[in-house]
Amino acid sequence: MKHQRRVWTTLFVVFALVLAACGSDSTESTDAGTATTGAGSAEEVTLRVLAHQNPTFVAYMEDFNSRFQAANPGVTVAMTVVGQGDMASAINTRTSANDVDVIDFCAGSCSAFSNGILDYMGDNYGEKPVWQQLIEAGLLMDLTDEPFVANFDEIAIRDAGTFNDRVYALPMGRVTYSGMFVNNDLLAEVGVAIPATWSDLVSACEAIKDSGNECMTVGGGDTWPIFVGASGLLGSIFPDQAALAEGLWAGDIKWNEGKGLEAVEKFQVFSTEMLESGVTGLGHDEATARYAGGDVAFMPTGMWQAPNLESFEPTFDWTYVPFPGSDTVADNEYLWGKYDMSWMVAADTPHPDVAMAYLAALADTTEYQTYLDAVGFLPTQPTASLNSKLGDAVADLVPAYRVGLEQYWVSPSGAGQWADGRQAAAWFAPFNEWTDSTELANQIQADLDAGLSG
Amino acid sequence: MAIMQKNYLFGSAGKWRRLTPLMLLIPGVFLYLLIALGPSLATSVYSFTDASGLRGAAVNWIGLDNYREFLFEGLASRDNIDATLRTLRFSVLVTFIQFTLGLILALLLNQKLKGRTFFRTLFFIPVILGVVIQGLMWKLFLQPRGGPMATIFDWFGTQSEFLGGLPGQAFNWVIVVQIWANVGVTMVIFLAGMQTISEDLYEAARIDGADGWQLFKSITWPQLTPAINTNFLLNIIGSLQAWQLFLVLIGYKPGTQVLGYLVYAEGFGQGESPAFRQGFAAAASIVLFLLVLVIGFAANRYVSWREDRYMA
Amino acid sequence: MSIPLKNPVAALDKAPSFSTRSRNVKIASYVVLSIFSIFYIWPLFMLVNTALRPLTEYLRDPAGLATNPSLANFADAWELANFPQYMLNSAIYTVTATAIFVATSLFVAFPIARGYFKGSGAILTLYVVALFLPPALIPQFQLILNLGLFNTRPGFIMLFLINPIGMIILVNYMKSIPRELDESAAVDGSSYTRFVFSVIFPLIRPAVATVTVLHAIGIWNELILPTIYLTNQDLYPITRGLIVFEGVYGSNWPGIAAAVLMLMLPILVLFMFLQRYIIGGLTAGAVKG
Repeated sequence: MKHQRRVWTTLFVVFALVLAACGSDSTESTDAGTATTGAGSAEEVTLRVLAHQNPTFVAYMEDFNSRFQAANPGVTVAMTVVGQGDMASAINTRTSANDVDVIDFCAGSCSAFSNGILDYMGDNYGEKPVWQQLIEAGLLMDLTDEPFVANFDEIAIRDAGTFNDRVYALPMGRVTYSGMFVNNDLLAEVGVAIPATWSDLVSACEAIKDSGNECMTVGGGDTWPIFVGASGLLGSIFPDQAALAEGLWAGDIKWNEGKGLEAVEKFQVFSTEMLESGVTGLGHDEATARYAGGDVAFMPTGMWQAPNLESFEPTFDWTYVPFPGSDTVADNEYLWGKYDMSWMVAADTPHPDVAMAYLAALADTTEYQTYLDAVGFLPTQPTASLNSKLGDAVADLVPAYRVGLEQYWVSPSGAGQWADGRQAAAWFAPFNEWTDSTELANQIQADLDAGLSG
Repeated sequence: MAIMQKNYLFGSAGKWRRLTPLMLLIPGVFLYLLIALGPSLATSVYSFTDASGLRGAAVNWIGLDNYREFLFEGLASRDNIDATLRTLRFSVLVTFIQFTLGLILALLLNQKLKGRTFFRTLFFIPVILGVVIQGLMWKLFLQPRGGPMATIFDWFGTQSEFLGGLPGQAFNWVIVVQIWANVGVTMVIFLAGMQTISEDLYEAARIDGADGWQLFKSITWPQLTPAINTNFLLNIIGSLQAWQLFLVLIGYKPGTQVLGYLVYAEGFGQGESPAFRQGFAAAASIVLFLLVLVIGFAANRYVSWREDRYMA
Repeated sequence: MSIPLKNPVAALDKAPSFSTRSRNVKIASYVVLSIFSIFYIWPLFMLVNTALRPLTEYLRDPAGLATNPSLANFADAWELANFPQYMLNSAIYTVTATAIFVATSLFVAFPIARGYFKGSGAILTLYVVALFLPPALIPQFQLILNLGLFNTRPGFIMLFLINPIGMIILVNYMKSIPRELDESAAVDGSSYTRFVFSVIFPLIRPAVATVTVLHAIGIWNELILPTIYLTNQDLYPITRGLIVFEGVYGSNWPGIAAAVLMLMLPILVLFMFLQRYIIGGLTAGAVKG
């Protein structure tokens, strides 16, 4: 009996080891990669692409990859999909292992070359952004002289793909997050026009609530939709957010005085009076589902929710307008946002020609339009246009697109957790402990000053 | 051989036989040194550098700068220290409650009850499901509008925003979920330990007229010493290091972070621009390690003391 | 005086006769257990409920009941997440790593538990310290990379050949095995290996079963390490397949619920099988007295 058991155990272990050994024989480790003589050569080339998870984008890429493979016999595209949260680690390990050729740079908040270290920050920053570290480690290929770079909008390339005057990434799209979805039918029913100023918005909200409906909803359960929803509000008060970042660092702008305080006070009105109660239980997508039900007038969130909204087949007519945070109409006419994903090439790729051909194919103006139609970003190529209901709604405003504070802000080293005043809307009760806007504003400034003086 | 103790009795047949245990032990220990201890030591070395973890990036020795930044710089240190205190509070509550509940469940389920297999499996299921699903289940359960817990609260006339509300509240709910998710392991370890207790001991004591509580105090508890020690140690250390439930249930909310979460956020990027600061992350994790070391060692000493007392 | 038991497992089931007070204890036990299990059954029910709904319905009312329960999510998960192939991979990794781990750690735990050589206490401390250790993702990655095992099955399996928690459970459990067994086996002329395999191993089945289950769960459910270490799709474990349900700002929770309910079944079966060993040791009355 005991002897039998021993025999089984031994057999078991041996079996397991054999399985493991067999497994390793049938797989390859890193692709040895023969030197390529260019796309369409007779050599077998596997091009390794690292992409982030986004269902519509991944579907588009799978289609693109099969077309690219058909047009380039001998090339196999091996695409790995990784969640945004794991992307930074994946880029790190795969460039270290030299196991990647083309990289879709969409890590963390997915905002291309944002949050760079600027002169006014001196040495007082905690961390350099990932993309800068990748460049300084020599892991990214310089794309400056490639012909396909010219397909893109100069400003996009300059702001989102350039470091020290060299181009390292192709920014593929922009998104705006500062506007709000508007339920036209509900407004008509209540007898209110689309608000163009802050005061209009405040009174509209009151009228809507009096009529038994709700004014606004966001995905409060996830926290970030609260302050992203307030980004248009911030933009109306500070129409130059690069200057805002610099001013905060210099101490010229403070959160507890003047316009800064105005922003914090309005944040409080926004999150405690305009948002419906119960948003703490709504995730980002769930808020959109709720909004599609038709009982809520506004949903301040990013344009990326438009396809989602449509999928719930709302029975009302909707549009997307800037969030009016100021009583001066002209201040309310910007779209604030960020750049989204971008393509990069690993500097040590064994197939630079194929990688460049791949990028050239992606950057081709016709292909780019196909891409845009699939993913729904705002274009970064001047020849492309956003063909969607939302695209039509914001078409006039696109020239007034500006990059938001989120893309410039770097916290000084030693700053406390309340230093980033941009997030203040999420810090009022019931979401967090603050109930007085002046007290919170003072805390924000104190936390920021702690870092600035360090 | 001098290295073997006198209580090793199998070595009479020659030198090699005497060394057998040592030789058979080496593969396991070697694997452990290679895969776990080695990299962790490397992490400690990293903590004194500004390493980013990227191939080809310059690495400079910066001594204690990372530690200084983590512990003393500006108000970030206030937040880190708050996180440390929060971590301690979390650990004490979770350990104490999870340990007690696990013991109670094991005692209940060690009896001959119909359906005990069902109960044991039920309480162990969260462990099988993993952190992400545990989080999903409780986010559903704690829906502030119309969720089951909200309904229960309603019966008692109160209301709560649960996980989306005030940091203190949200934090307490994470404690609840952490205990709920892991009590199954504590229970199973106790159950396994109870199998070493001979029925004869209980028989004899019952004949002498001992009642339930006396049986527990004089037989069960002392006989369970190894399992008690295991659970005590694992609970404390596990709860000091826990952070994944926080990420899944609350996400980033100022006033709720624990040290494990901070370490993860620094090293793998949370916030606007995920950065690689392996050196800094290593320093933060060494701080957590030292905290755990101090407490863990105290726990270990206590555990050894109990062992000597009860297992002689 | 001991009564050698012919069938120890049955003996555990044969409870001594109880008085009414003991019956009340049983009733009280049921009551307590039932109350406690409400908080396990209800969330589990909500999970299953979620898996039976389409995404749009779920988003409209996350905590609501499924109006048209359907198995569509399960079918989708099976296909989209590439279940058959990835499950096989998961099985290979889990079985191999757990088998090697258990086999090697038995021979580490036992000498430590018995204190057979000087320094065994130090080794135990080393393992306890391992519990406190900070995560070492990048250095570990560099190790595997330098060994040439990146993106290979053996490299991935190597990561799971250790488990300090398992070691501590084993060591502590072994300490409760009486030393008299060692003496009688040595007197009988048994060799060390045979002793460990045929005498000790059966006696510590509860601990081995516990450690096996916990270790297997750790490997089976691991999310991050496959992302880092396995870039070849043929090598993906099932947790990698779940990524198809992630969105950018939110995930397809009904899909994930269905996928996880399916992928947990093998572990559930394993646990139910091993439960018998966790609760059925052979020590009852065998040696005492």
